[in-house]
Amino acid sequence: MFMEAFSIIWAYREGFLKGLIVTLQLCAIIWSVGIVGGGALGWAGARYPVWGKFIRTMAFLLSGLPILVLLFWLHYPAQAIFSIVIDPFITAVFCFTLVNLFSVSDLVRGAIADFPQEYITAARVCGLTTRQTMLQIQLPIILRQILPSLLTLQVVMLHTTLFASLISVEEIFRVAQRINASIYKPVEIYTALGMFFLAISLPVNGFALWLKARFTRNISER
Amino acid sequence: MLTANNLSKSFGAHQVLRDISVTIAPGTITTVIGPSGTGKTTLLRALAMTDVADRGEITMDGKNYKFPWPENEKISPKPWPHITAVFQQLFLWPHLTLRENILLPARNFLRATMMDELQELISVLELAGFIDRFPNEASLGQRQRIALARALMLQPRYVLMDEVTSALDIEQVSNILGFLPRLKERGIGVLIITHALNFARRAADHILFMDQGKMIEHGNARLLDNPQTPRLKQFLSMVEAAH
Repeated sequence: MFMEAFSIIWAYREGFLKGLIVTLQLCAIIWSVGIVGGGALGWAGARYPVWGKFIRTMAFLLSGLPILVLLFWLHYPAQAIFSIVIDPFITAVFCFTLVNLFSVSDLVRGAIADFPQEYITAARVCGLTTRQTMLQIQLPIILRQILPSLLTLQVVMLHTTLFASLISVEEIFRVAQRINASIYKPVEIYTALGMFFLAISLPVNGFALWLKARFTRNISER
Repeated sequence: MLTANNLSKSFGAHQVLRDISVTIAPGTITTVIGPSGTGKTTLLRALAMTDVADRGEITMDGKNYKFPWPENEKISPKPWPHITAVFQQLFLWPHLTLRENILLPARNFLRATMMDELQELISVLELAGFIDRFPNEASLGQRQRIALARALMLQPRYVLMDEVTSALDIEQVSNILGFLPRLKERGIGVLIITHALNFARRAADHILFMDQGKMIEHGNARLLDNPQTPRLKQFLSMVEAAH
């Protein structure tokens, strides 16, 4: 079965490659804007209460709304209301980036807001500068705390990109569906698709687990 | 000279410090004793300027700090680490080994003798067996000694310590008592908050007794043998009875 899956991938490599490129483009935008923008927004949220409230509210609202509903709403009713037509790829990017942005920013905001002030006080009385305190005390502790959750979230976002196929974005899942419609080999095609996602997700998940084991060890004192 | 005049501090409606005045001379050891919840730790934090006083004044070697300090304005000129503190909860950074906890701030004040000083502290405070562990892998007594070493490596002019011997055994307390004269020789002014009256008696040049946010009585080490106020007499008799 696996050999047959590989032979189908090889036979339709051009189509799969195009789908893969679209999926990777989606991920690249969702991940980069989500992590960089979410990190900055989270920092602002921890520093300025108004931004913090905004982030918490948005993250709360988005967590209560299924991504598929949001995607469909942005693709159909929203465009009908405003009498505009937007490329499905852009709609998908906007939708998933929005979710990732506020998820990351809430994660970062929470980690900064909950950071034990005592460690900063200790740094002050030891004469560390604000920059040293941020780079050598706050940042390493916060990164260790959020990195595993952040990576897991990005894997979830990769999986979420499959929904884009439902609004006609030619990403890898849609390509697989189209090939299956023409040759009807669902076992081989979806096995190949599963292997593709495992090949990307498992190393990232494994890395997240390793980070968790390595850095988020029990630091409670005896 | 570190001088605090009429320091007052409230948390909400609760006034914790009431017009406290303290002087810590270089090369002297001052201990603060008193019942729990009487404002000793708040006094230490106000003197260290990590929690700014509501009213009063602190003068440190000619630099003057008047309170209330303008809101959202940083304490300036920076008094740390000329004055530094070892807090009761220690606050060692959990992502660094104990050695890195000591060396990270010390690197800001690089000097040729730094590693010799570290070796001396490792020897006097008996740190060798655990210095490369992480804070959560060390006992409270070990962490207390590391926090003390971290403060002393900064070559401060004044060190404020809050219950730093509470988890140490008799031998380790004895080592600290033997080490304190070296701090005096270096001209470091030390303030120690302690519940251990024997430690206060043996270590201190000057003893302050606090109760309910006020300085009730102060004097030299003989104060504990010859208390003048009824409150200190009562406190000492209660402590003796408890032992």
